Amino acid sequence: MIPGAFDYHAPASLEEALSLLSANVDDAKVLAGGQSLLPLMKLRLAKPEVIIDIGGLTELNYIREEGDHIAIGALATYTDLAESELILSRCPLLAQTAVVVGDVQVRNRGTVGGGLAHADPAEDLPAAILALDADLKAAGPDGERWIPASEFFITMLTTSLMPEELLTEIRVSARDGYKSAYQKASRQAAGFAIVGVAVCLKEAADGTCEDIAIGVTGVGDVAYRAEKVETALRGQKLNDATIAGAAALVTDGVDPIEDVNATPAYRAHLAQVYVERTIQAARAG
Amino acid sequence: MANGNPNEYVGLAARSKEGPRLVTGHGRYTDDFTEPGMLQAVFLRSPHAHARIVGVDAAAALNRPDVFAVVTPEDMERDTKPFRPGRYAAGLKKPIAEYAGAVDKVRYVGEPVGAVAARDRSTAEDVLESIAVDYEILPANTDVHQAMAGDDPSVIYEELGANLAWQGTLEYGDTEKAFREADRVVRENLKIHRYSSTPLEPLACIASFDRFSRKLTVRTNTQVPENIYDALRDALQLDDIRVIIPDIGGGFGQKIHLIRKYVVIVALLAIKSGRPVKWIEDRNEHMMAAGHACEQHFDVEAAVKNDGTVTGLRFKEIDDVGGSVSTLTIHFTNKLNNLSNTYKVQNIRADGYSVVTNRCPVIPNRGIGKPGMCYIWERIIDRVAQDLEMDPSEVRFRNLVQPEQMPYTTPNGNVYDSGDYPGLLKRALEKVDYQGLKDEQAREREKGRYLGIGVVIGVEPGGRNAARDMAIFPEMKETPGSGGINGATIKLEKNGTIALYLGSPNCGQAHETTTAQVAAGILGVSPDVISTTTPFDSDIAPWGVAAANSGNNFHLYDIGSIIGAATQLREKVLKVAGHILDAEPSELEIADGVVTVPGYPRRKLTFAELGKVAYNNQSLLPEGIDAGLQTTFYYTFPHAQPNLVPGKDRRVRAQFTFGAGAHVAIVEVDPRTGKVEVLRYLIVGDNGTIINPDVVDGQIYGSAAHGIAVALGEGFVYDDEGQLLTITLTDYGKCSTAETPAIEVEHRPAPSAFTPLGQKAAGEGAAIPSPAAIASAVENALEPFGVKVRDLPLTPERVWQLIQEAKA
Repeated sequence: MIPGAFDYHAPASLEEALSLLSANVDDAKVLAGGQSLLPLMKLRLAKPEVIIDIGGLTELNYIREEGDHIAIGALATYTDLAESELILSRCPLLAQTAVVVGDVQVRNRGTVGGGLAHADPAEDLPAAILALDADLKAAGPDGERWIPASEFFITMLTTSLMPEELLTEIRVSARDGYKSAYQKASRQAAGFAIVGVAVCLKEAADGTCEDIAIGVTGVGDVAYRAEKVETALRGQKLNDATIAGAAALVTDGVDPIEDVNATPAYRAHLAQVYVERTIQAARAG
Repeated sequence: MANGNPNEYVGLAARSKEGPRLVTGHGRYTDDFTEPGMLQAVFLRSPHAHARIVGVDAAAALNRPDVFAVVTPEDMERDTKPFRPGRYAAGLKKPIAEYAGAVDKVRYVGEPVGAVAARDRSTAEDVLESIAVDYEILPANTDVHQAMAGDDPSVIYEELGANLAWQGTLEYGDTEKAFREADRVVRENLKIHRYSSTPLEPLACIASFDRFSRKLTVRTNTQVPENIYDALRDALQLDDIRVIIPDIGGGFGQKIHLIRKYVVIVALLAIKSGRPVKWIEDRNEHMMAAGHACEQHFDVEAAVKNDGTVTGLRFKEIDDVGGSVSTLTIHFTNKLNNLSNTYKVQNIRADGYSVVTNRCPVIPNRGIGKPGMCYIWERIIDRVAQDLEMDPSEVRFRNLVQPEQMPYTTPNGNVYDSGDYPGLLKRALEKVDYQGLKDEQAREREKGRYLGIGVVIGVEPGGRNAARDMAIFPEMKETPGSGGINGATIKLEKNGTIALYLGSPNCGQAHETTTAQVAAGILGVSPDVISTTTPFDSDIAPWGVAAANSGNNFHLYDIGSIIGAATQLREKVLKVAGHILDAEPSELEIADGVVTVPGYPRRKLTFAELGKVAYNNQSLLPEGIDAGLQTTFYYTFPHAQPNLVPGKDRRVRAQFTFGAGAHVAIVEVDPRTGKVEVLRYLIVGDNGTIINPDVVDGQIYGSAAHGIAVALGEGFVYDDEGQLLTITLTDYGKCSTAETPAIEVEHRPAPSAFTPLGQKAAGEGAAIPSPAAIASAVENALEPFGVKVRDLPLTPERVWQLIQEAKA
C-alpha cells in the first residue's frame, strides 16, 4: 500500500505546471485533491514516474459569477461547490450533486476538476455537468480552448483532454427558473453511483415541460445525456404516465456495464426507476 | 461480610477504563511498537486460484543491499515443519501436511508464496515486483456442487483424490421414526454465503529472535495465544516462545486461525535476518487471505404434526471450506452448539459434507456454524407455519423449551442452564404490538407499501469444549483437550492499589472495566483503584486453553478466575490484617480499601498500610503466611459433567452456558428497486446477570449490526476463475452507520444456575439470529408476490430478482 518511486513537482504557477506537463507528457500524472489518483498509486495500479502537484495553485480555486455564467475553478472542492451561496441560488444542481459525492473527507479534499478529468464511470458530477451543458476550459502549451461537456467524456477513464493539457475551469449558465435534483443508487451512503441521474427542468404552470436535461452516470462506460427521454418529454404534460413512458427510453442505445455491484439488466432497470424518481423529485423541489 | 460481595458493582454502568484511551487514539496497537534495527516485511501472494509452483527466482531481491531476508517456497519446505493437523482435520482419510506458506501449489488467490524483509516497507514492496514465480495454472474449483457430483475440474489435494474431503453424520434420537410418523414433512433448500467481520485493524506482527538464548518473542494481535504458541513450536521447532498481545482493533474470529501462518513466516524472516521484523497486513490482503466465514448449503426437512409440533429435523450440509484442510469441519461441528436451538425436538440428524475449493480458507467468525444452524431452524419454522397456515410465532411457542424444564438437556447432550424462551418471545411481540403491526401491514399493502415483520429466536452459547469434535470423529482416541481452563492474577500493591493480570487478551470488549467491577466488590475497594495490566504477555499471564477471545469464553473463564483470585486475596488480606489488628479474620470488614474491626473505630488498617507490611516488614507478618499479597487462580467450569467428553452416544456439552434472544425486524421493501430498509430492530435478550449494561449493549449493537449487514448484502464474491471481486470494503458492501438501524434492546436476564454471578455470554449473540430475522422480514414483506427467501445475502438486486422470478 505504498506507491512506487516517483519524481515530485509542485509548480508555483499554471504556466510552470503546463511546461512541466509538456516536458513529461508520457510519464506524468497531475495530482489535485488526490482522492482518485492516490488510491490507485497505493495499490500500484498506477505507477507514474512523475507527479505534478497542482494543489497549491490557488489561482484555480474559485467560484464566481460572470454575467449569466458561473465560473468554477478546477481546484474548487466538492465541499466548496456544495456550500457556495452562488451555486445554491443560481445553479443548485451542482450543489445537489456535489453533496453526495463520497464522504466528508473526500468532499473536503477532492476537486471538481480532478474528478471530471479522471472520468470514472461511477463519478457523480459528470451527470450534472452534462445536464447543465457546461463548457470546460483546457489550458495547454498552445493556449486555451473550450470543450463542451457533451464532447468531454470519451470512455471509461478517458476524456478529450490532450496529454499536455490541464482542465482549468468549468463554466455553466445560471439556471434561474429551473428545478433540479440529483439522485443515485449506491451500496452505501458514501458509495459510488451504481446509477446516478441529474435532472434540470423547467415546467410551466399547467405542468407542461418547457425544457428538460437529464444526465446519467454509472450506467454505461461513460456518463451521457438521456436525449431520447428528454425529447419524449419536451412539450408534454408531466405526469406519472408520461414520465414513466419516457423513462423507459433511458438506456436505448446504451450498453449497461457489469460489475460486482450490479448486472446490466438491473442497472438498466434502476436507471429507468431513477429517471422517473429524479424527475419527480425535481418537480417537487 | 467475610467473603466480600462480588455483586456490589455488578449491574452498574461503571465508566469504561479502556474506552477513553481507545477512542481518543491513544490505544497501543502492534503497529505502534518499534524495535531497534527493525525491518519491514511484505508478502508475495498468489495471483492465481489454483496453480503448481514450477519455480521461483528471487535472486534479484536477495542481491539488494537493503533486503535482509527472503522466504521462498523452497525455504518454507527446508526451514519449517508443517502444522500438526488440528481437531478439525481429524477426519481426513490421509493426513495432509500444511505449511505456513505455499510449497508445491497455490490453492487460493492471495495465498502467501513468499516474503521479503527489507529496510523499510516501500523498499519491500518494490522488491516484491522483482521476484519471478513460474506458475503452471490449473483449473479452479469454485462450485461445491461439482465436487458433490464427482465432477471436479481438478483435484486440489492429490492425496485425497477428490475435493469432497470429508463426510460424516450426527444423529440423535430416532429421526426415521419421527419422519415415518409425521403428519407432514416440510422441506426447503437454504444457503448462507461467505462473509467476514473486517476488523478495523488488520493482522499484525513483530517478531524478534534472540539467537543467544534462542528465545523468540512475537508481538501480535492474535485473539488466541495458544494457537500462535503451538504454531511456532510446530513450524519452527522452538520451545522458548513469548507471545505479547497489545491492544487489538477488533477480532470477531478473524484473528484466531490463519494469522498463525503469517506469524510463523515473519518469525522465520527474523531468524534469517537476525533483526526484528514487523509486518502489517493491508486491507486487500485481509479480504483475500485472512479467512472467510463458510458458504453453507442446506437441504432441510422437518417432521411436523398438524398442530405445528416439530418432531424431527434432518439436514444435509455442504460446506465450501476453501483452499485448506485445517478448518475442514469447523462450521459443521459448531452446529452441535445450538443444534436444537430453543426447541424441544428430540430427533435430529445432520449429514455433513466438507468440500475444498480454490477460495480463501474458512475460519471461525462470530458464531462460526451457529448463525447457519439458527438460520436452518428459523427458516424451516416459518415454512412450517406457511404450510399449516399458522402464525409463525404460534409455531415457535408450540415448540419452545419451557422455563420449568430448565436445566434442560438437549438431544445432543447440551445442558441449557436457565432461560424463559416463551417469555422472551412474548415480550418481544408485546413491545412491537404484533397484532397492531400486522393490521398496519395490511393497510399499507393496499397503498402499495410493503412492510415485513420477522420474528425469530435463538440461543447464545458460551464457554468452550474442544472434546466436542470427538462427536464427529469416533476414530479419535484421545481428546484434543476438554473443557476450558484460564487464570487470573491479582495483586495488592504496597501503595494500596490493586493490579489485575488477566489470562486473556482484550479485543475491545472492555475486559478492564468489567473485571475491575467484579474484583472490587470482593475486595471491598472502588473499581477506580483497580487497574488491569496490558498487554497480555505469555511469560507472565496465568493463561490456559481458554485464554481466548473466542467461543464466548470471557464471561465464564475470566470472570471465574477473577472471582477465585480476588477471593483468595481477600482471605489473605484478612489473615494478615487480623494478625496486626489482633482480631479474628471473620470479625473484620473491608470497605473503601480499609480493614476495620466493627465496634472499634480506631482498630483499622488501610490497604496501603497492609501493603507496606506484606512487602517490607517481616516481623509483622503472621507465622505461616507467605509475604506478599498476590494470588493466582485457574478456573475450570465446575458443572462441566455430564457429557464433557462424548461417549458412544456422541452426546457432548458443546458449550456450557446458554443465553437467548428474541429478535423482531420490521422492514420496508421497495419492490421497484429491491432495496430493504430496516425500520425497527428489537432484541429482547437473556444474557444472564449483566455485569456492565453499557458493555453488554455495545456487544449486542455490534453483533446485531453485523448480522443485519450480512443478511442485507455484505459478502465475498468470486468469479468462476476463483478471482475475488470484493477486495475493498466498498465492493464488499459493508453497511455504514447510515444503513444500520438503531438497535433496541430490552434485557430479561435469567441468571445461569451454573456460574458464580449468574452470568452468561454476550459477544456473538445477536449475530446468530439476526440473518434469519432479516430473511423472515423480507419474505413477509413480499408475501403478496409469493417470494420465498432461501439464500443470503438479500442485496437490492437479489430482492428485485426474487420479485421478478415470483412474478414470472
